[in-house]
Amino acid sequence: MTSFIDYLIGGVSNGAVIALMAIALVLIWRATRVVNFAQVGQAMFTTFVALTVQTLTGSWALALVVAMVAGAILGVIVQFLVLRPMRRADTSGAIIATFGVLIALQAAVGMIWGGDAQAYPQPFDNAGVVAFGRIWPISVYDFVVIGVTILLVIALSLLFTRTSIGLAMRASAFNPEVARLSGVRVSRVLTFGWALAGVVGAVAGVLVAPSSTVSPTTFDILLVFAFTAAVIGGLDSLVGAVALGVFAGLVISLVSGLSNSGNAPVVALVLLALSLITKPDGVFGHHKARAV
Amino acid sequence: MTSLLRFPGARLVSHAAFVIIIWFLVMRLNDSVDPLANYYIALVAMYATAMFGMVILVGLSGQVSLGNGALMAVGGYVFAVTSLHWQTVPILGVPWNGWWSMVFAAVGGIVVGLLIGGIAARLRGPYLAGLTLGLAVGVPAIANRFPELLGGESGLMLTVPYPEGGYAPVEEEVFVDSSADTLSGDASTMAVPSADAAVSPDDMLTMDNFPTTDASAAVPSVDASVIDPGATDMSGVDLSGTGDLIDASFIIERWQAGLAITVACIAAFIALNLVRGRQGRVWRAVRDDSVAAAVAGISPAKAKVSAFAVSSLFAALAGAVFAQILSYVGPGAFGLGLSLSLLVGVVLGGRSSLLGAVIGGLLLVWLPEFVLSLSEKGGWGDQITNNAPNLIYGLLVVLVVLLAPGGIVGSVQMLIAKVTRRAPKGV
Repeated sequence: MTSFIDYLIGGVSNGAVIALMAIALVLIWRATRVVNFAQVGQAMFTTFVALTVQTLTGSWALALVVAMVAGAILGVIVQFLVLRPMRRADTSGAIIATFGVLIALQAAVGMIWGGDAQAYPQPFDNAGVVAFGRIWPISVYDFVVIGVTILLVIALSLLFTRTSIGLAMRASAFNPEVARLSGVRVSRVLTFGWALAGVVGAVAGVLVAPSSTVSPTTFDILLVFAFTAAVIGGLDSLVGAVALGVFAGLVISLVSGLSNSGNAPVVALVLLALSLITKPDGVFGHHKARAV
Repeated sequence: MTSLLRFPGARLVSHAAFVIIIWFLVMRLNDSVDPLANYYIALVAMYATAMFGMVILVGLSGQVSLGNGALMAVGGYVFAVTSLHWQTVPILGVPWNGWWSMVFAAVGGIVVGLLIGGIAARLRGPYLAGLTLGLAVGVPAIANRFPELLGGESGLMLTVPYPEGGYAPVEEEVFVDSSADTLSGDASTMAVPSADAAVSPDDMLTMDNFPTTDASAAVPSVDASVIDPGATDMSGVDLSGTGDLIDASFIIERWQAGLAITVACIAAFIALNLVRGRQGRVWRAVRDDSVAAAVAGISPAKAKVSAFAVSSLFAALAGAVFAQILSYVGPGAFGLGLSLSLLVGVVLGGRSSLLGAVIGGLLLVWLPEFVLSLSEKGGWGDQITNNAPNLIYGLLVVLVVLLAPGGIVGSVQMLIAKVTRRAPKGV
């Protein structure tokens, strides 16, 4: 029973990272109705940027900030060069294009930083916290991860509910035509959404990097987990993405702990298939008539 | 000509004739080139087989799938497990040979395809892509779940069932059986003796028309076409290490390529009949407007599931061939990279055309070699050489989707249509 609880506690920070990546997917889906499968490629790129900055300066916080800026820029570039001209293409085209971006970004990462897995320096104490006479399976760094995630989620929800750009984003997502007529510069708002998603993805990448290694394809599995969380959460819902992201982290930690970490992708696959069979619009999603 | 083609079954006959002619020509070509070229031909044929399925699934039925690499894994593993464990075919009791394993791989592929297709038929665009992405990552991981049966992370080495009669002259096939080494399953130790063999000048039996040095250099570079740079598990597997032959007239690569060509031609025959027949129209109708198709009496769900099953059959066949080309199956060989390669190939070649699948296969095999030759001239580092093909693929995919959604074949058709001022053929 103790180990069961330990696995659950240990899964929270992992779940926080999955939640962030799922948020990035949801942000772009809400803005442009595209699932950005290149998101992990962007995150990997910015994580390597962060690794370079950290190696040069030794500052974890600076590396995180630089990665966030790089994430925003990369998001804008991808949206501008690939997805914006894609509006006329069919949905298959947009999906395929995001995979094209993923392939190119992973190759670019391999070209610049090499294909081998590299260790990301541990910025904070990674040993289990000692309290109440025992060692807990959660470290100071895990608290940092969870804290940053909570801050980011609060900031995002404030942005969406309290600011005019947030209102414009919601309006553009709800009905681009009406938003445009009401004076919202929809295409700029969409680009802002991509930049925002890039920032969130970059944070997720930098946060998860110390607990795994970084190589061009390390984050592939994160994409699967995040997509699973985002879809079960409804793809439209930030709350759903966060809740299901954390939930996925817990399940994965449980499964990895009780059996074998190699089973985690299979579990994600089963979860995803089950949720798509039973609730194709997700747990938190709004049921909409399908366009035909 | 058109009047000749009106009798019942004419299309079947003409497709059969066409495929047989192609088969004959490619087999002749295969016999006249060196083993390295045989190896490339085998890879192209293998990719083409899998991508016929991608054309049907992505191009005709409009379902973007990342899972076909995983379906190839199904075929490859069924082939490997049955060929390692069976002496006789269960139930039938007849002596086992390689073709039985292929049949079981095909059946396994269809079953899994129906299963996934049943789920996939309910899903649209990004949901389906995400589910199949999960497949591409999750299915190879299943091998880790059953390390005794499936070999876990290190995969399974298999002795390829070479023919007793058939392609190579029977009486001259004598093997120095190195299967004991082969079955030990350690790819890195396997490469060592064969690399030695490549440099030792007295080993003329395999050296005389067998550019082993080139071949062993080529394997990792072709490996780079499998997009996942982490998937280097198979880079140590040298084809020449699967069995040293006493007689030089039997060339493993040539036999493997012959097998791959034959399977590709069988797949092409099936695909041609489906695509150019009623079923092809059904798939296109559902892709273009599923409501209109349903009004016309077509079941969209059935059409989508059948597209999945057929493409899965082809993927499984390709996987079984791949297993024989590599003499190996492992999670690294069938990872997400392979699935992405298939998508790249079919998009670049032409999403809606079987010819596009072949061109895509050629592109997947040729580009890494081309980049390698450039890098030898330009003196690029490994880091650039290994990643340049994927960078080019990724950028090309984006460009093709933006500018020429029909891929190479579609663009050529458009060009011809412009020149002859006719409407392009419906795709």
